[in-house]
Amino acid sequence: MKEIPDKEILLFKSCLVNVEYPGVESSTRFLFDKLGIEYIVSERQSCCTGLGHYSDLFDQFSTAALAARNFGIARELGHKNIATLCATCYAILKKSGNILNKQDHIRDSINKILDDSGVPDLKYNLEDMDSRSNIFHAVEILYNKVDEIQDLVEVDLSEIKVAAHHACHYCKVHHKDTIGNVRDPMVMETLARACGVQTVNWYDRKTNTCGNGFRQRYMNKDLSFSITAEKLMSLKENEVDILLHMCPNCQLQFDRNQKVIGESFGTEFNIICLNVSQFLALALGADPYKVVGIQTHTVPVEPILDKIKQIIHAYEV
Amino acid sequence: MNTLKIGENTFELAQIIIKDLKASENIGILKCIQCGMCTSLCPAARHTDYDPREIVKRVLDKDESLITDDIIWNCFYCYTCHSVCPVNNSACEVNQILRQKAIDNGKGKPKIAPFSAYGDSFLEYGLGAIPNDFFDHLLKDYGKEWLQLKVDLEDIREELGLGPILLPEKDVNDINKILEKTGFTKRLERVRRCKDEGNSR
Amino acid sequence: MKVKGHFSRYAPKSSIDIGVFLCKCGGNISHTVDIRRLKSSIDAKVVKEFENLCSIKCQRNIRDVILEEELDRVVIVACSPITHEKTFRNHVAPLNPYLLEMANIREQCSWVHSDMDKATEKAISLTNAAIERVKYARPLDAIVRKTKKSAAVIGGGISGITAALSIAKQGIKVHIIEEKPTVGGNMIKIGKVFSPEKLAEECALCLFNPLINEAVQHKNINIITNAELKSSQRKTGNFSLLVERRPSFVKEDKCMACGNCAEVCPVDVPNEWNEKLMFRKAIYKPFPQSVPDVYTIDEENCIKCGKCQKVCTMKAIDLEMKGEIIPLNVGSVVIATGHKGFDLEKRPEYGYCRNEDVITQMELARIMGVNGPTNGKLLKPSDGKVPRRVVMVQCAGSRDEKPGGKRYCSRVCCMVALKHANFIRRYYPETEIIICYTDMRTPGMYENYFRHVQSKEIKLIRGRPGEIVKIDDTIVVRVEDTLKGEQVEIETDMVVLSEAMEPSKGTIKVAETLNVGLTEDLFVKEKHPKIRPVTTDVEGIYVCGTAQGPKDITDSVSQANAAASKVSEIMNGGLEIEPTIAVVDNYKCDICGECVKACKYKAIYMHDERISVDPIACTGCGICISKCKNKAVEVMGQTDSQIFAMIFGLLKDKKEGERRILAFVDYIGYVAADNIGINRISYPESVRIIRIPSINRLMPKHVLFAFENGADGIFLGEYPDDIMYPDIQAKVQEIRSELLRNSIDPDRLLYYKVYAPYFRGLANKLTEFDKQVSKALDKLEPVLYKASSKDL
Ligand code: SF4
Ligand code: SF4
Ligand code: SF4
Repeated sequence: MKEIPDKEILLFKSCLVNVEYPGVESSTRFLFDKLGIEYIVSERQSCCTGLGHYSDLFDQFSTAALAARNFGIARELGHKNIATLCATCYAILKKSGNILNKQDHIRDSINKILDDSGVPDLKYNLEDMDSRSNIFHAVEILYNKVDEIQDLVEVDLSEIKVAAHHACHYCKVHHKDTIGNVRDPMVMETLARACGVQTVNWYDRKTNTCGNGFRQRYMNKDLSFSITAEKLMSLKENEVDILLHMCPNCQLQFDRNQKVIGESFGTEFNIICLNVSQFLALALGADPYKVVGIQTHTVPVEPILDKIKQIIHAYEV
Repeated sequence: MNTLKIGENTFELAQIIIKDLKASENIGILKCIQCGMCTSLCPAARHTDYDPREIVKRVLDKDESLITDDIIWNCFYCYTCHSVCPVNNSACEVNQILRQKAIDNGKGKPKIAPFSAYGDSFLEYGLGAIPNDFFDHLLKDYGKEWLQLKVDLEDIREELGLGPILLPEKDVNDINKILEKTGFTKRLERVRRCKDEGNSR
Repeated sequence: MKVKGHFSRYAPKSSIDIGVFLCKCGGNISHTVDIRRLKSSIDAKVVKEFENLCSIKCQRNIRDVILEEELDRVVIVACSPITHEKTFRNHVAPLNPYLLEMANIREQCSWVHSDMDKATEKAISLTNAAIERVKYARPLDAIVRKTKKSAAVIGGGISGITAALSIAKQGIKVHIIEEKPTVGGNMIKIGKVFSPEKLAEECALCLFNPLINEAVQHKNINIITNAELKSSQRKTGNFSLLVERRPSFVKEDKCMACGNCAEVCPVDVPNEWNEKLMFRKAIYKPFPQSVPDVYTIDEENCIKCGKCQKVCTMKAIDLEMKGEIIPLNVGSVVIATGHKGFDLEKRPEYGYCRNEDVITQMELARIMGVNGPTNGKLLKPSDGKVPRRVVMVQCAGSRDEKPGGKRYCSRVCCMVALKHANFIRRYYPETEIIICYTDMRTPGMYENYFRHVQSKEIKLIRGRPGEIVKIDDTIVVRVEDTLKGEQVEIETDMVVLSEAMEPSKGTIKVAETLNVGLTEDLFVKEKHPKIRPVTTDVEGIYVCGTAQGPKDITDSVSQANAAASKVSEIMNGGLEIEPTIAVVDNYKCDICGECVKACKYKAIYMHDERISVDPIACTGCGICISKCKNKAVEVMGQTDSQIFAMIFGLLKDKKEGERRILAFVDYIGYVAADNIGINRISYPESVRIIRIPSINRLMPKHVLFAFENGADGIFLGEYPDDIMYPDIQAKVQEIRSELLRNSIDPDRLLYYKVYAPYFRGLANKLTEFDKQVSKALDKLEPVLYKASSKDL
């Protein structure tokens, strides 16, 4: 397996996390703090362009130029290991890193642009970033600490059944760098199991896309929903309580749209969507509202909280 | 019937794609054996007429009508095909490149026009955001609570101990300069123009 | 750098009597070369000219002169050594054959030049060079390799047994080393084999068993089961092997195979011979026809309860039995370690680990084997019912560049699928067969079988499935029917994955122990897949069967026979080897091992704290010489002095304003140069060709020496498609940088890849290079141009 750092990490903010599920960032920070992972967050970091990029609005060159700028900031801050909260950021940054390292003429023109834009300090030097050893998803940083996490678990979750939706842009884009087998990824299940929860390791449509498809959710809603529905159906069949996520875009798709999709299929799914960081934070005793941020979720998370509480209560008595 | 004329280079389109910045190193277009593994797992193929294997075939046949064919706009960019293709081909990347070609030749601009607000937000804040064009439409599906969330966002973030979302002004300016020089700003203007035309029509 | 001390122009012995014999070649030479002038220029004890030197009469004449004049050395000035060197060497006795040198003034002079004056001058310098060189010749004796008349065959499957039988029948003692408790390998498990001739299936066991029995009874064959190769050492063409034999806890000579023991054994173990589809005991006989026909205890699972011991009337069981180490000294080794099935956990989307009714072709073979878990009935593992439909998925793990996949085609799975399909259609006509394939590969006669099976109504869907899942109680195969362009979900109750073949663990381990090279796919590599099949990169070690790559039984058997004949070749042939190989001076050597690392022919190796050379493997290429900091290695017949002498001879009479180019070429280059002559194509007279074993033999000092002695350009030519090619490139680079360091224009050096049939290219290149050198010289200051050759 690739080597995963636990210090000098720039926790890379995500636009969708910022405004839809800020609890993902606070949960990740909570976990990083608990696990003694050394990281910073930078207010200067821009977005990765991901949503625009995959809506075909951004061109590859502009995306790579903005990545170079963000890489420059990470380098200046002495935190060259990037940990993303979103699978799209992960894929976009890795791709840009590869282009900057391998295509000399592109690197040169981007550096010239950075120079001309008055930010010569942010210029990209060859091999500044290694896509494999500097760019990670936050989940990977946590995966590396799975034993420590196991020791810190504070609640009993054994009655809960979870399944995972590993984001396509984490697993499939740079599939050689994905932890485990991309054809049946287990990163999130492994983390969840460390908290004593039951996991559904395989279910039909496990490696399906969430159905968001960038433009498809907005331009071809029905198509988009029929794909999301396939997965929801299978999860329902497997009686899953929580679907774990590693990408705010997928989470948005399954959480916010769940009700409408259910209506069109004449059913209710009631599958709670949590980012794996949010889930782990809960397991480690974080406050559901002040850390995990469940108040921004559409499918209410409270029913599961009741289960957890009861268990703790039973424990104390 | 189609006649294959001597001296016709049918690999031109494939070569253009292979050389594109978006294409992975060693993309296996030329090695495609038309096995259909990509299609067997493709979500778009399951629900539409789209077929990634056929896209690759048409590229290898130098079928340039593909660029203006609506079919390429069905792909989800889910990279499933890319992750299983036994010869390391990627219908996903092929589609991305074809769409860029469509945008360059004009036909694709209306397709991305609805997303131009994403670019506006980037220039304004250095951040991405769901284009506001879709707001009402989303609100209907997501429910009123979502609107409340937008209103309460600042407070919630504060409660979670999270800092401000916005970048310092200097950085936003830098980003604007960079995007100006990469040609993005112009590109965005052209897309916007096309959107306005669409609206006025 | 000034080259000094390597060479003095005075020969080692002050008075050497040299005889020079000139051939006019019936005008072929004398029409272009002025023989009289050539003759008068020669400084030797005897100079004689002949009309046709290669005629029997003249050859006798040479011998007479040698005896009469008591000559020490002979120079033949005639045609190419490629054609006649052997003949002349045979005729210089009592002189040692290596005290003869040839000057090629036909193919490389009279046939390529037309200007008599210039050709004569070139002939003079070629002759001079041969004379200079012969002064440093040393008598050499042909090496006779003594190889022990015994061999080890590792692996007792169809390949190993076939090879062993053939070797044994040629009068050579063979040891078969098998890691399992029985010989038989994969073939014994597969039940049926297809016959494209009869368009039917035959019983594998019935074909193979007689061979096994023959092997058991053959006096030259010794079968060692439960055994593994632990170590191997090469010693003067032989191998000392250590074989570790695990204890079987049952005395072979006592056990009657009654099976009482297994009945009382309380431990159940998944039976690997039946692909773990059923159980066996800790004391077991893998299958009824096992050879040797005795029970074995598997140490890993035995709990040493002693129950078996109590019921064994023969007292054959000894739970205290110890393993043993068996030393073997053999002259040759055959690797026949076979393959294993692809690990389907690497393709989880096919659900092999999640679904009992998704099985492999090997498992299907066991299920349909009469001696298998269901006594030959086609039943689903999950519920013991006959499947209504069987879907076969081709290329499972093969033809797949994704991580974990095998890039190659496993070659047998299409035929295996057809074989099973045919069998099922015949005995279970109610069961449907669907084969999902990308290409059906049934080359040669196998196509007949394919058509035959097609006529039995099997459905073929062209597409590679992406996923196999279970929905409720039905298995669903998701695939695109690519001929229709349509996604299809095939409902079925049984799926058979045509798993890829991959090298067995034993193959990889044995190759490591024997220091034999593997391919990128970890099969044993052949020295050259076209012209040196079954030969590994270690001389004396051969490979056959699926250890070398995926193949069927037919091909395995022919390879096994080929390997056997290679073994017999080295043992029965009584090999005499040319002595022009590397020799290590063990006084100078400090066994740093650099030469061992450098030699990709694996001809030089460390043994008992000494460096040894395998005379058969050594090509005399000379790379080891450049790597040896202690100057402890030499290549016989290509010593530094010989090379320096040759260079010196070719340049010593160079005239003011004349241009001389030395072309160092390997054997192929030399043949190509001869071909230029044979085809009467011309190139500039400035070119003088020197044959060397390889560019790897050259060192910068040789090239610098040539430049200092007046060479204007150096041409290096070699056939590139050899394992040493990367070293040649490095060598050329090294020489080039040395030139730069000595301010010699690198344009005066050229490296060119030569191919024997492309002699025209070589001629053109030589002509071009002559021009290039002339241009480079024009740039030069006169001082540098006239390098002095005086003070050597
Ligand atoms: S792109 Fe790949 S998976 Fe798709 S048909 Fe071609 S070879 Fe098969
Ligand atoms: S990336 Fe596009 S073509 Fe590939 S599987 Fe996903 S939707 Fe289909
Ligand atoms: S390089 Fe020379 S000194 Fe070193 S081991 Fe080889 S022969 Fe001996």
